Amino acid sequence: MEFLALLSPEFFLLSAAGCLIGIIFGAIPGMTATMAVAVCLPLTYSLGLHEGLALLLGLYVGGISGGLVPAILLNIPGTPSSITTTFDGHPMAKAGEPEKALKICIVASLVGGLFSAVVLFFFAPMLADFAIKFSYIEKFLIIFFALTVIASLSKNILAGIFSGLLGVLLALIGTYDTSNGGNGEYRLMFDFMVPYLETGFSLLPVLIGLFGLATIFEEAEKGIKEEDTHSQIKLKGHKPFHFGVFKGQISNLIRSSSIGTFVGMLPGIGGSAASVLAYSQQKNLSKNPEKMGKGAAEGMVASESANNALTGGALIPLLSLGIPGDSTTAVLIGAFTLQGLQVGPLFIGEHMDTWYSMMAALLFANFVMFGAMFFAIRYIAKVVMVPKYILYPIIIMMCVIGAYAINYGIMFDVWTLLIFGLFGWLAGKIGIEVAPLVIGFILGGSAEVYFVKSIESYGTLSIFFTKSPIAVVLWLLILASVVFSILMHRKNKRLANQVEEANA
Amino acid sequence: MKKILSGVGVALCTLTMATSMQAQAADSPIKGNIRVVIGSSSTGGDTYQASSIIADALSEKLGANFKVDAVGVTAAFRALERVSNGSTIMVFHDQAYLGNLYGQKGYDDPFEKYTVGQTFAINPGNAYLVAKNSPYKSVQDVIDAAGSGKTVRVAIQPGGVSEIGYTAMKNAVRLQYPGMEDNLAPLNTGSQSDKNQAMFDGLADVINGSVQANEQYTRLPADDQKAMSFLWLTAREGTVKQANPEGMGGTSRDDLMKFVAPMVSVPMDESKNFTFDKEFFFIYNKETDPKIIAAMDVALEEIFKEGKVQETMKKSFFIPDFLPSNESQQYLMNKRDQYAKIIESLKK
Repeated sequence: MEFLALLSPEFFLLSAAGCLIGIIFGAIPGMTATMAVAVCLPLTYSLGLHEGLALLLGLYVGGISGGLVPAILLNIPGTPSSITTTFDGHPMAKAGEPEKALKICIVASLVGGLFSAVVLFFFAPMLADFAIKFSYIEKFLIIFFALTVIASLSKNILAGIFSGLLGVLLALIGTYDTSNGGNGEYRLMFDFMVPYLETGFSLLPVLIGLFGLATIFEEAEKGIKEEDTHSQIKLKGHKPFHFGVFKGQISNLIRSSSIGTFVGMLPGIGGSAASVLAYSQQKNLSKNPEKMGKGAAEGMVASESANNALTGGALIPLLSLGIPGDSTTAVLIGAFTLQGLQVGPLFIGEHMDTWYSMMAALLFANFVMFGAMFFAIRYIAKVVMVPKYILYPIIIMMCVIGAYAINYGIMFDVWTLLIFGLFGWLAGKIGIEVAPLVIGFILGGSAEVYFVKSIESYGTLSIFFTKSPIAVVLWLLILASVVFSILMHRKNKRLANQVEEANA
Repeated sequence: MKKILSGVGVALCTLTMATSMQAQAADSPIKGNIRVVIGSSSTGGDTYQASSIIADALSEKLGANFKVDAVGVTAAFRALERVSNGSTIMVFHDQAYLGNLYGQKGYDDPFEKYTVGQTFAINPGNAYLVAKNSPYKSVQDVIDAAGSGKTVRVAIQPGGVSEIGYTAMKNAVRLQYPGMEDNLAPLNTGSQSDKNQAMFDGLADVINGSVQANEQYTRLPADDQKAMSFLWLTAREGTVKQANPEGMGGTSRDDLMKFVAPMVSVPMDESKNFTFDKEFFFIYNKETDPKIIAAMDVALEEIFKEGKVQETMKKSFFIPDFLPSNESQQYLMNKRDQYAKIIESLKK
């Protein structure tokens, strides 16, 4: 129990401070948990390992959680993994219940975060051994499984699939990077585009453009009158948040937190896949799938518990194999290297004090996140009351700053924001569906790498079906997901027809 | 709380010292904020670690604020191209010219397009590993297997430091078993995690790795699927000898010496073994004022004379290796030419 001596007041103070700064980073579109950790990484030099890690883990938990605020209030995912939070969070906020939406998400975030921390603590080495059973094939199938959400998200299944594939294609623009095992060649662009698109379109400017800027363009097209008060959201007259909203959501919480933890522990899959997978599974298993996407609490619960469960999940391979599970833990590993400390399969056993203090920091940061956000929310929620003619210019400014900052000052990222803002605005008019397109864009890059690497390694397509029992299980899940989506679409169509007949 | 207060105290003292040093260094051409872009986007890798150590020492010496930015190779070269006033400088390793030799996109000849500056550290940890239960117990086993017609798969990241050792092994097969070198097949993977995974999946027989990232795996029991053994450390014997005796993790320097030439022999030609030290050096914009580079020479010389930085480096398993810019340019060019010959000889 020597580690107790490490838990000084400044240890907790730094963890709390990190969490609060992280929430701010996460809440500003374009700034991410990864960025927050990267900015504060050199501080670990002066703070020492344990205090430094407390700060960085606070930033990590805060950064991942903060993304839900703009997702709900502004329909802009603050972090890529909060994309599915926009699907139900924003409609609920628009319906006048932003506080309720925020509180549902914060509670779900806490549950997800704690769930994954407990799993990390008790099962890390065991799960790491399980994670290495996932080769290129299984990883591709997981991405493919996540992509099946396109089928259930689409309003029109064919248009949705087309949009999703377009997203995948857009993700492939750029270099087939050697750091992914590629050949370093440029793809899908002309020579004059090379200086701008060498590394492809950056994810966050694309996301913010498609979600944030496109919505503003749509509103601008409609026009907003200064004295227009009808369109303003009324906060009064709705039922306040009550924990009763989680009734019937226990299995959703556990499933989504498990998905988040599981996806987090597979290096290279990427955090966004976690919330996308959890959301689509909830939609498939929901009693009222038609309500999802229109402000259903269950959608928010799935998305937020999964993306916060990533935190513990991504630390599993980091601390048990020395391999970061996501982009933020990839930066976090720097805290260890700066101190000359190796992380690898023997790390936990050889550094029990560090391990326990990290767990303490992680748990504490989750509670700080909950406390800070839950009680500050009534003030934050008022953002939706700000008149649009004031709010929108501020959002645009924040989006531009976020896009410019994401790669530390690349002007083309601002152009990307504008290009995709215009594209998102036009897409709606020609039947392209933005949500499937974004999912395709987020998952396309990894899907390609794992597909190509699978073929390169095994030389046959049949290996996708025969590689391992895990692959077979994943195929069954993919099949079930697709069948559910088709049945759901048919049911919706039937209902629509019945309504039409009744009206006629 | 005390720690934070003392931290603030230290920060204030540093600030005061920095201010006075800045006054002293008013004539120095290196002032204010200096962005040190590095050719790696990882903050967990050796480039970030080595750059942070030297940037810290320079900040202290010159009273300037050197800040390491892990932007990755393309963005780093771009940033360096844009700024010639010395406020952006780059740190990278041999990959800077190896990428060019292997014809990788985005790699110009650094000696032509930029000014190659001072070397300051070596990472002696570049290694090749096999699974603990592998039939290959030495590099010679691998060479013999390839020579006898068996395909041996080596997981590397193409086009650089990761590939150079593979190239050397292939060259060794060519020397001992002419015409059989293609049996040593590269498996192009990305990160260290991908390379490890390729071994766990049985896709690779040999993987490129490092002492820092893989040492713990070599201490796992043989029945663990993750267990690995070192096959070869590419660094020179003289380089590894300079490491601290305790080595890295649970593996002492003497244990590591068993995997270094001449204990492990990868012939480069009839008389010489192949070795490769991964060296870190500064790169400047071509138009950068020579006075700035000269001032860096002086500052680094003084830092290395004081000896503190060497201790910090050795603690993190780096070997201090300072050469002023005029010597380092010639030295690195010779090094480049030597490796160019091997790469060229294997081109068909």
